[in-house]
Amino acid sequence: MAMIRVNSEMAGSVWKLLVAVGDEVAEGADLLLLESMKMEIPVAAPAKGKVAEIRVEEGETVAEGQLLLVLAS
Amino acid sequence: MSGGDRLAAVERARAALQDASRGEALARQRGRGKLTARERIAGLLDPGSFRETGGFALAEAEGAGPPPQPADGVVTGTGRIEGRAVAVLAQDFSVAGGSIGRIGTAKTVHAVETAIARGLPLVMLLDGGGHRIQDGQDARSFAHASPLIRTLARASGWVPLVALMLGPGFAAPTNFAGFSDLVVMVRGLSTMGMAGPALVKAATGEALDQEALGGAALQAGAQGLADLAVETEAEALALARRFLGYLPANARAAPPHAPCDDPAERREEALLTLVPEDRRKGFDVREAIAGIADRGSVLELKPRHAANMVTALARLDGRPVGILANQSLRLGGIIDAAAAEKGARFIAFCDAYGLPLVSLIDVPGFLIGSAAERSRLGRRSAKLPFEWAHATVPRISVVLRKGYGLGYIAMAGGRSMEADAAFAWPSAEICAMSIEGSVDIAHRREVEAAPDPAAHRQALIEGIRARTGALRAAEGFGLDDVIDPRDTRARIIEVLRQCETRRHGGLPPKKRAIPPI
Repeated sequence: MAMIRVNSEMAGSVWKLLVAVGDEVAEGADLLLLESMKMEIPVAAPAKGKVAEIRVEEGETVAEGQLLLVLAS
Repeated sequence: MSGGDRLAAVERARAALQDASRGEALARQRGRGKLTARERIAGLLDPGSFRETGGFALAEAEGAGPPPQPADGVVTGTGRIEGRAVAVLAQDFSVAGGSIGRIGTAKTVHAVETAIARGLPLVMLLDGGGHRIQDGQDARSFAHASPLIRTLARASGWVPLVALMLGPGFAAPTNFAGFSDLVVMVRGLSTMGMAGPALVKAATGEALDQEALGGAALQAGAQGLADLAVETEAEALALARRFLGYLPANARAAPPHAPCDDPAERREEALLTLVPEDRRKGFDVREAIAGIADRGSVLELKPRHAANMVTALARLDGRPVGILANQSLRLGGIIDAAAAEKGARFIAFCDAYGLPLVSLIDVPGFLIGSAAERSRLGRRSAKLPFEWAHATVPRISVVLRKGYGLGYIAMAGGRSMEADAAFAWPSAEICAMSIEGSVDIAHRREVEAAPDPAAHRQALIEGIRARTGALRAAEGFGLDDVIDPRDTRARIIEVLRQCETRRHGGLPPKKRAIPPI
């Protein structure tokens, strides 16, 4: 089993978490919404897998490259 | 020897070059799951149209030397695609790993020079490992270097260049791809990069496999050196044929108009509701492109690289055009360095071959912050307006939604790039920066001092928003018209028909342009 780290591609804040730990997600499914420059920025699953860890909370500010969550694939 | 015998000897030598006479080489290529160089050429060109040049060329044998190398590892010549002439070269991996020897280099240069001299598109079918080591490790030979890269650089912008990566393509072939207007890779078969894993390991100690170093997923994705990744060689060959159908043979010829049975006046009802009411939400701008373009005519380039900037070839009323669009589903449509470069290269390419440009604008701005600065966006962002300013083809802008700040200018919004028509949908909002951001900066003290700061802030935001709409933009004559989204196709075609001979220009008498990067 591979652990896939999903990092933020840009600076912003966590607008909405769309998954919980243990959820099975398909490749391309939206995991969470960031908010940056007044736009919702969906963060999609790079592969199908199970949400193993969520490392951010709604409202939290994140930097580019920051770890958002981990998928077990 | 009689004349008949001499001719028979020539035909025997010619037959020896064909796959049927090279069973072992054919089997080796099959064993790798690949077509041969000659099969690829047959798949690319109209049947029976290939005319080979230099088929009898052999590598120079020195002393005991290597065994004869048929055609010295590269098959070159001319042929036709949909009846139109092209030049072609195909590296033969079954000959010394497709490596480039001295005669093979001369043949390759000759193929590029033929394309230049005759004004023909060049299709390169690449499957090789770069320089032939035996030839390269001798200064007597290598000091000459090679005019190939210079020749390709000079061909770029004069004739369309296509590179199909059909095997290992580290080193020299990667450089060829860098000059090419279409680069296609086959998943699991193609690699590209500055050097292959063995050389990287030997030189730096870094251990990587081929896919991780330069596979299709990487090069057509994050790196963006390839335009498209496909599953089979046949798909790659078909893409080359399709791509050239949008382009003239060279920069002095007119782009080919195709017959069109899609009515110019067709109204696209779906465009009326494409932009979401919630302006934070993204929508798929490719639906706008599909609705505007002739049915089935859209060919998106680099769909997996910098997807926040969509670049697509399409036809409008049968005329080939280039479409640039901000994709709000990806990074909100913000322009980062990769998107700026992707868009800028596309503008230069369309301009070189006379394709009018359509810009569909929904841009919240350029990326800002430390990541933007680290990526040298200050300089790289300048490439987009630079290319608009030097392009001479007709261009039409349509503001679908956000036209913010420098991003609006870099997308040729309003009067910034002398658009032949500047349109907006009723959903447009055009201003110098984010409305909320401007309130928070310019009215911070006023908001803090208000009895209900949140309500006061909201009132200020609404006040500004009322002054950023499409009608307000048209009041100041920053736009030509606010159009019904359903009529976008008809309105663009109407302008293109009138601008057929339009050439932007009028540069001051400089010797040459200096690109920001």
